[in-house]
Amino acid sequence: MSHALLARQLSELVGEAHLREDPAACAPFALHHQVPALVVEPGSVEEVAQVVAAVAAEGMTVVPYGGGTRQAWGAPVASTNVVVVRTTRLNQVLIYEPDDLTISLQAGMTAAALNATLADNGQMFPLDVPLPHQSTIGGLLATAMDGPRRLGYGTSRDLLLGVQVVEASGRISKAGGMTVKNVSGYDLMKLYTGSLGTLAIIVAANFKLIPRPNAEASLLCSFATPEQAFQLIEGVRISQLTPMALEYVEGLTFAPFTNSTIQVALRTEGLSAAVERHLHELTARTAQAGGQAYPLHDEAHRQLWAQLNDLPQTATVADDELVIRLTTLPSQLALALTRARTTAHELGITLTVSARSLNGVAYLRARGNDEQLRTWHNRLYAHQPTTAVLGGPLHLRREMPAWGQPPTTVEVMRRIKHQFDPTNRLNPGRYVV
Amino acid sequence: MEPTRLIAELKQIVGVTGVVTDPDALMTYDADGCVMDTHAPHVVVLPTSTEQVSAIVRLAAQHDVPVVPRGAGTGLSGGATPMHGGIIIGTSRMSQILELDLPNGRVLVQPGVINWELTQYLTLSGYHFAPDPSSQKACTIGGNIANNSGGPHCLKYGVTTNHVLGVEMVLADGSVIWTGDGTPDCAGYDLTGVINGSEGTFGIVTATWLRLTRLPEAIRVVLALYPTIAGATSTVSQVIARGLLPAALEIMDRLAIKAVNTMYRLGMPDEAGALLIVEVDGVTDGLDELLNDIVAICWSNGALDVRPARTPAEQVRVWSARKNAFGAMGRLAPTYHLVDTVVPRTRLPKMMEEVAQIAQELNLPVANVFHAGDGNLHPIILFDRRDPDQNERALQAVNRMMLISIEQGGVISGEHGIGVEKQEFMPYLFNQDDLAAMAALHQGFDPEGRFNPGKIFPKTQNARDLAEQRHSMAFADRDVA
Repeated sequence: MSHALLARQLSELVGEAHLREDPAACAPFALHHQVPALVVEPGSVEEVAQVVAAVAAEGMTVVPYGGGTRQAWGAPVASTNVVVVRTTRLNQVLIYEPDDLTISLQAGMTAAALNATLADNGQMFPLDVPLPHQSTIGGLLATAMDGPRRLGYGTSRDLLLGVQVVEASGRISKAGGMTVKNVSGYDLMKLYTGSLGTLAIIVAANFKLIPRPNAEASLLCSFATPEQAFQLIEGVRISQLTPMALEYVEGLTFAPFTNSTIQVALRTEGLSAAVERHLHELTARTAQAGGQAYPLHDEAHRQLWAQLNDLPQTATVADDELVIRLTTLPSQLALALTRARTTAHELGITLTVSARSLNGVAYLRARGNDEQLRTWHNRLYAHQPTTAVLGGPLHLRREMPAWGQPPTTVEVMRRIKHQFDPTNRLNPGRYVV
Repeated sequence: MEPTRLIAELKQIVGVTGVVTDPDALMTYDADGCVMDTHAPHVVVLPTSTEQVSAIVRLAAQHDVPVVPRGAGTGLSGGATPMHGGIIIGTSRMSQILELDLPNGRVLVQPGVINWELTQYLTLSGYHFAPDPSSQKACTIGGNIANNSGGPHCLKYGVTTNHVLGVEMVLADGSVIWTGDGTPDCAGYDLTGVINGSEGTFGIVTATWLRLTRLPEAIRVVLALYPTIAGATSTVSQVIARGLLPAALEIMDRLAIKAVNTMYRLGMPDEAGALLIVEVDGVTDGLDELLNDIVAICWSNGALDVRPARTPAEQVRVWSARKNAFGAMGRLAPTYHLVDTVVPRTRLPKMMEEVAQIAQELNLPVANVFHAGDGNLHPIILFDRRDPDQNERALQAVNRMMLISIEQGGVISGEHGIGVEKQEFMPYLFNQDDLAAMAALHQGFDPEGRFNPGKIFPKTQNARDLAEQRHSMAFADRDVA
């Protein structure tokens, strides 16, 4: 069957208005510069299932697609016959009983829309994904993207209670439930989270929610050197303080500190007295470490975090920019960042860093010419084999392992992939298996 | 299988004292805490190292016998019962705490370490391992991982899976994998996550890196007594609406209070129909004001008595009523069956009514102890197992409670697992396609069904058949060569 026949079939399934086949119309959905043959937007879970079955029957490749904000991740799709399946029309809340502190929603809903729904009931989904107005919940789960508040509330792995997916065969299945505790069958939620759309398309998700705290505020701390900043961070680690986020930022300035480029942003939430205690004690600790602290409340506080949350975004990457995720055991992060910084200085690379400083996760944005970036990445990778390349010029990325060194468990992963997607229809070539 | 040769070879691996073959001794391994279905193993092996486990598993493959991992045997769903005989690998001699790494908030342990021993070991470190199942004085870390165990404090801190950074696992061919060491967000599927709660059906965990949690600066506990459950549950809702997730919210009903009162002389008034424990923690600032607010909420919901506990000694005393509840049940009946189901939190009052109705209709006393913050019920059916009629009615009660939980939007196990106790309820919760997806995951780990066969999936549908059916239906005409 030609594309035209498949297009007619898909058009009958989802309606003409929800299918793009003209290359110009498909161009905005290009994946690593490759324009897909078709872009289809199903309006229901059943339609997703029928679309996937129809595409698979034609031997074509399915790329699940939410807001598109992290489609730069991973290696290029290993196929020239790509159909993009968008989940954005699946944007409804399915079950929301606020007193249960849980919600069930369709995967195409954006993170911002979810939090707007919850705010009216004094609740929140504390996962601050970059570009929340575009980023969908399905995409958030597929990439397992974290946010600064993972320190206090964990990641999607900790908040996801149940999931519904469309499998590679077009079959619909679910796992988990609407309860915060559950050992009824295997935890497929963990399997799909972070699987980059290679096992199934996530179409609905159930989450645990958190009551919105009575009070929240931030402290922006500025330092002359990274060592001073990490002195504060280490002090917080061994204390019994409970900041919800402790973000180390380098290479950028935030008001009111227009001269310094080494900063730590602390976010505290909870009882008013507890928030005050954090601001007070952390201000003193910042001074002891040789820095200056500035408290932020209300709108200034919200704006700071909106900026910080977006720093690891990969929707817009400059032509001379490489976006890297560096992960280490938490105690080794400062050293890993020192290496990255020293090498960048030697090579004349401009570097910005945003790091979940007590979790051991850092997002690095490096700017330079091809040779500089290549050398810098090589040296980084030699020390940190888990280094992932999330965005950058395609010709350079082709030389670099997108996900770092393959995990030692890759054989088990291959067997799982084969069970779920034996004909390799879903996102082939983009992930580890 | 050639039993004599197998046993001789096992003795070569672990030594004579590490192999149990005496029929009387084997009978003590014929079940865990769930005695509904029993089956003795052919042999029990007690290795001390990963290498020994690997050698045992390779041997099992050569002889084509099942392998069932077992910790302390405190499980309540038959997860450690060797339904098809074979080899039980007991982890009791793999009980070393191997490495404490406080800068990275982690500890490396063998699977036979007892949860409580780890807690004791960490006492002076300022950290703790958060999952605290009621059986924590006996249950092992390996068993906690297999059942994704919870406990009273998982409302705030999460269940076992949230605290396991990586595991070392011996697979069916004897190969050994490590799924993580605490380095976050490594590429690849989350094998650590799916192994948690897999009930020993994927392989056997031989070591694990666990996440440690900093102890809170301050803890406050309130115990409140009410004439009825309703007052306790409405208190819970109002406390949560206060904008703070408590560390624990536990409720006990009249019969459970009576049991602990009789056994431990706690001086609870006879008219108490419900006992509520609320625990909050964090930095000291604001916590006493919060405690006062909670006390006021308790009174305004018709409490008979409210006892705030500010000091650790007072808190231990308040908690003793709850922590000793299961042990005290022996005072009320010769046998009890502890049911574990979960419903969305707001359905708890409805479930309490239903449970009372079932108890009345089947003429069986049922005590209730439950985690009110997360909707996890534990009706305790009291009966005499020696009386076939009571036995039959107890089973009926369990069945009805399971089905009502599902009807109320809940699930069939919150923290005890499916094992054999609940395998026939799985199709009420999941359709064939859902079960087949789980079977597909299982095939990725243990295609031959070597580990703990006959569990989780309904008896007539093993994982291998389900996965094969799924595959042939979906991909038969377009499989790649």
